[in-house]
Amino acid sequence: MHQSLYLLSRSVWKGPNIVPLPVKEALAKGAPIRTNARSATILPQFVGLKFQVHNGKEYVAFEVSEDMVGSKLGEFVPTRKRFSYTQTKNK
Amino acid sequence: MVVHILGKGFKGKEVIKIALASKFYGIGLKTSETLCSKLGFYPWMRMHQLSEPQIMNITSELSNMTIEGNARAVVKDNIALKRRIGSYEGMRHALNLPVRGQRTRNNAKTARRLNRVDRRGYHTSTGGNKVTWWKRWFF
Repeated sequence: MHQSLYLLSRSVWKGPNIVPLPVKEALAKGAPIRTNARSATILPQFVGLKFQVHNGKEYVAFEVSEDMVGSKLGEFVPTRKRFSYTQTKNK
Repeated sequence: MVVHILGKGFKGKEVIKIALASKFYGIGLKTSETLCSKLGFYPWMRMHQLSEPQIMNITSELSNMTIEGNARAVVKDNIALKRRIGSYEGMRHALNLPVRGQRTRNNAKTARRLNRVDRRGYHTSTGGNKVTWWKRWFF
């Protein structure tokens, strides 16, 4: 996926940001991987796995599909909430 | 003298590489320069110097490239893919907000105008032959 963009963002000699995650156990059990490593690159081995990624407050679950390979885990879990105005009754 | 290439009219005095780059979406100066050198035109050759077979050569070269609608479709596909997989960039496109971490407290006007999932491409066809309003009185 998006090879040129990927190469623009990071030195080639570093390779992808590989974080040790319990992929093998998750494959065996089918349990979601709970992690705080938002900057971990999604590898082809992750396809079909379930992740619970921290957004700063709680762990948000999503499933990795084939198109997501090459992007980071944190890209799919937004950290900010959209501002919505609520009227306060008592000042 | 007007030269027609793929349904677009070019004035005779226009420089070929610049005219191609400015009229066709998906072709920049770099691509048009390589095209011209491939077909053996010297760098500052102008449209009126082209012969019929040379025009045919340009047309056949252009028809093999992804230009205009096809090139716009590539951009749209990339945005739609980001939206479909639910990534942050796709979300920012859908909200008409800057995608690459720019500030949104003020400004962000370009993103508000342009960013959407079904994004319009830029117009390239209005560039060259536009007549300023007062010139219509004289010509």
